[in-house]
Amino acid sequence: MAGYLGMRAVHHGHRSRWTVVWMLFSFAAQCAVLGIRGDLRGQCPLGDIGEILVFLAWSITIFYLLIGSTYRLSLLGVFSAPVVSVMLLIAAIPGVMENSPERAMTVEPWHEMHAALSVLSYGALGLSAIAGVMFMVLNKMLKHHEMKSGLFLKLPPLSSITASMVRLTGVGTLVLSGGVFCGLLMPREASGSMVHLWAAVTVWISYTALLTIWQVRGMTPSRMALSVVSLFIVSLAVFAAL
Amino acid sequence: MDLLCLGLNHQTAPVDVRERFAVSADLLGEASKDLTEKPGIEEVVVLSTCNRMEVYALTSEISVAEQSIKQYLAGDRPFDERDANHFYKKVDNDTARHLCRVVSGLDSMVLGETEIFGQVKQAYTQALEAAATGGTLNKLFQKSFSVGKKVRTQTSIQGGQTSVGSVAVDLAEKIFGHLKYSEVLVIGAGEMSYITAQRMMERGAKKIYVVNRSLENAQKLAEKMGGEAVSFDDWERVLAKVDVVVSSTGATEPVVRPEHVESVRGKRKYRPLFMIDIAMPRDIDPDVGKIEEVYVYDLDTLKLQADENRAKRHEQVQACEKIIENEVQKFSNQQRNEHTQ
Repeated sequence: MAGYLGMRAVHHGHRSRWTVVWMLFSFAAQCAVLGIRGDLRGQCPLGDIGEILVFLAWSITIFYLLIGSTYRLSLLGVFSAPVVSVMLLIAAIPGVMENSPERAMTVEPWHEMHAALSVLSYGALGLSAIAGVMFMVLNKMLKHHEMKSGLFLKLPPLSSITASMVRLTGVGTLVLSGGVFCGLLMPREASGSMVHLWAAVTVWISYTALLTIWQVRGMTPSRMALSVVSLFIVSLAVFAAL
Repeated sequence: MDLLCLGLNHQTAPVDVRERFAVSADLLGEASKDLTEKPGIEEVVVLSTCNRMEVYALTSEISVAEQSIKQYLAGDRPFDERDANHFYKKVDNDTARHLCRVVSGLDSMVLGETEIFGQVKQAYTQALEAAATGGTLNKLFQKSFSVGKKVRTQTSIQGGQTSVGSVAVDLAEKIFGHLKYSEVLVIGAGEMSYITAQRMMERGAKKIYVVNRSLENAQKLAEKMGGEAVSFDDWERVLAKVDVVVSSTGATEPVVRPEHVESVRGKRKYRPLFMIDIAMPRDIDPDVGKIEEVYVYDLDTLKLQADENRAKRHEQVQACEKIIENEVQKFSNQQRNEHTQ
């Protein structure tokens, strides 16, 4: 609904006032679902694909609500709302979320922290990828002199999109650092497959390298945008495969 | 009592005539007050901008008031009847309609411009403070301001920029956001470069560098804009620092080529570079636009955008006139009711 209202507002060339409101409703609903699932599991609700998708949608929404208004990037909602909707729709497909999740007998705090921080970081990194898509759309319009659409008029300046893309990547990487750190402290029996942890370490190294290159050597903003989008998709695909 | 508007504008009078009848911006209140003391005039607002000089009055007798106003504007000398051809006269509803069109920017040289709104407000405030207005003109001007706001919010009469320079500045803001951190390099000391760079300065550009084959001309232009003149041999060094390049030289071959930009990309840390080419033939090699972080816009592209925006504004005129007509009718009915009570 938020995405639809936002896109309709952009098409008509005026500001969407309801996107944020619907995102807030969505956020409240996500909190309720995660609360119920956490209660059922007796631990952080990241036990199946459905829960991971809802948790990811929750972290994208929370970062949007925090960053979107701060950096005057309300249009980020128009781009992130469809992504959040798709995640929630997949999670709602019968069978994606276990009907009667097994209740945890013991809770391993490092494992819980590792899982929660990793998914939270993916919220920021996901939103950064969405900002990257926004950048690529506006960049293409500017490069090809397409200045007529309502979207062109409503998109924030390239500099603002670039700044939020880099900040979100920074925040995501910082949170992921915490997730990786907790993962390294997990007892071996709780960590399950080490492949999973090493995948997280590889993702962390990739984002850190990207930020270092951006900061030290410099990089074209369009390459940065392409990198954050590609890295997010690849890392998500890797974790889905694992 | 009748409403009268007597005036001249950019459509009816050349600049030398407008200059003769212009009233200084800080004397509008005083002029309004003086006119209320003339025969046949009850209330007055004098409006004077670079494109128009108009007197709005509430009169007891139109012909007497008209003569009083013309004589006052002529000053010590008798009013030259040859100037009469440049004046237009609006009465009653036509006065209200004309004022609403003026406030809405429909009568301006640049259709839909917003500056006139503030200028009318300033003229009215001065007349009000000088006690030159009364109930009727107060209501008329308040009405015109609300109509002006309505026209601007309900139509797209002020949408998009209509000059090449302003379109370029809007694009620069689309890339860099606010221009207060942006430095501008002007190559060539022509009129168009000056206008575009001046627009950048008006929107807060941090610094302007001017490069020209003649350092003397560069210095003159730099001084005019509060910028820094740079020798032509040194412009590539400056390219590493700036965010916007405005080029308008008379060169027959491209002045800025891909290798120039390639050589400074690393120093610039691959920051975006916006290049405006308003020269004919073009100063910037089109291949420069193929560099990832470089956005090149030439005169044709900018002019096309300005023309499209102008056409869009013209499409809105009918909708604006409709709003004005409705509001003028309401104002007229209110006036009639008040007089019959």
